[in-house]
Amino acid sequence: MNRGWPAAGRPWRLITDDGATAAGGLALDEALMAGYARGEPDRLPTLRLYTYRTHCALIGRYQNLAAEVDLDACAATGTPVSRRPTGGGAIIMGEDQLGVALIAAAPPDLRPREIIADLASGLVAGLAELGLRAVFQGKNDLEVDGRKVAGLGLYLDQAGAMLFHASVLADLDVEFMLRVLRVPAAKLADKAVAAVAERVTTVTALTGRPWAGPSLRPVIAAGFAAAFGAELDPGEPTAAERDRAAALAVDRYASQSWLADRSAALDGSGSAAIKTPIGLARIYLTTHGDLVKNAIVVGDFNELPVAVPDLEARLRWHRLDERTVMDAVTASGAWEALGVPAEQLAGAVLQAGSQAVERLAAAPLRSEGSCYFPEPSRSHG
Amino acid sequence: MSSGPQPRAAGPVVRVRGFDLALDRRYEPATHIWVADAGPGLVRIGMDPLGAETSGTLAQISLPGVGADLAAGRPFGQLEAVKFVGPLTSPVSGTVRAVNDAVAADPGLIERDPFGAGWLIEAELADPAELDGLLTDAAEITAWYEARIEDYVRTGAIAR
Repeated sequence: MNRGWPAAGRPWRLITDDGATAAGGLALDEALMAGYARGEPDRLPTLRLYTYRTHCALIGRYQNLAAEVDLDACAATGTPVSRRPTGGGAIIMGEDQLGVALIAAAPPDLRPREIIADLASGLVAGLAELGLRAVFQGKNDLEVDGRKVAGLGLYLDQAGAMLFHASVLADLDVEFMLRVLRVPAAKLADKAVAAVAERVTTVTALTGRPWAGPSLRPVIAAGFAAAFGAELDPGEPTAAERDRAAALAVDRYASQSWLADRSAALDGSGSAAIKTPIGLARIYLTTHGDLVKNAIVVGDFNELPVAVPDLEARLRWHRLDERTVMDAVTASGAWEALGVPAEQLAGAVLQAGSQAVERLAAAPLRSEGSCYFPEPSRSHG
Repeated sequence: MSSGPQPRAAGPVVRVRGFDLALDRRYEPATHIWVADAGPGLVRIGMDPLGAETSGTLAQISLPGVGADLAAGRPFGQLEAVKFVGPLTSPVSGTVRAVNDAVAADPGLIERDPFGAGWLIEAELADPAELDGLLTDAAEITAWYEARIEDYVRTGAIAR
């Protein structure tokens, strides 16, 4: 891994900490970026491997807070919320999720998706040490056997510094997640936990051994060291970085204006039915403007065909236009797995999308959906 | 790709390995920002299809106001894609004279019509000689574009 990245063998700073607060954890990541601004002396990357206090809810840069998080449930469970500077969906963080922050000068010759793919290789190498074959493959998340095991995001600031974020699922309290994130209630209540388990996995589930953020830390550290040929030198944030983090926690990450920042695009949800030889299936979509935030297909399948979550992942964070949807349907093979013509399946996706957009006119602020799972429509299904 | 309104002729657009490329303008190769003549001392600035594709699906875009100063190599706006948030870097120095409000309202316009209706800003040049540092020659542009597509497919930056 040489192109654009520092030479092998020289030490990177490794920062480790546990129990970060929602605002404090994000503030330190951003504070560490200042040392990598244009005009600062060249320095090697900082890798921070840390956990949050159980639990926090973190939404993506341009998401609408109330649409992603059940604020009443957060208040009832003492779950603080904040907004990441990076993109992506809503997540919960706690001692069972390893937070990864890699801070460096932005490599000038690499495109955002190249940077994400390169840095994902550190995670892939770490998980490989546990015998897990994680893949990035140009999708938005890191997957093992088609199930999400880590979420990724990237922020390049105006001063030329870079922050790569990942959340690695050592383990996941799915029921808690379903409670605080705007995730499924009503129609799928009894099946929600199982449906998440079919689409999301954890290092604990994959290895059959209990893992948490701190125990996974040396594994991921070794992965980055191997992938980049880097020595990791344990260190601490400087006093100046801590001071900057304390200010950012208050001024930005805990501030109402940052939390309430609204995207110009509106959130919506819709669904459509599709008749298949193995019974009736229904596709649920949550949308952000004309982007798919989440897609899920439910039906009376004995076993969920692998192509179905693949279709969901291919739709996620893509635009709801005919060509994009048709490409996702054909590439996934979900139409074959469900025994329906590709055009019919694509039509159902677009129909659910149209419904989501039409509903915006009636109730512009209503929306649901998280990184893991969408909420089904209350009036359909 | 080139449907929709086009305030200025998009000129010759060729297809390179599945991606459109307009040959009537200049390119900043590292950032995939194009610069097209828009009258004496004026340029129109936009992002080419590879720039959009290698950022991820575009979710939001922030552009400067009319009258804002531009500095070559420095940010003039912010782009938010689904997994990526980062700066738009200006290829030239000057002053912003027009802003495309349509792309701010609908960033998908950059993907649908990158060389036409998906333009970002118009600027008055402070130093026209800066244009000499950009890729200008059609053959050179085409070779660069083709090589980059190969790189991006290989590194996974373009999902195929």
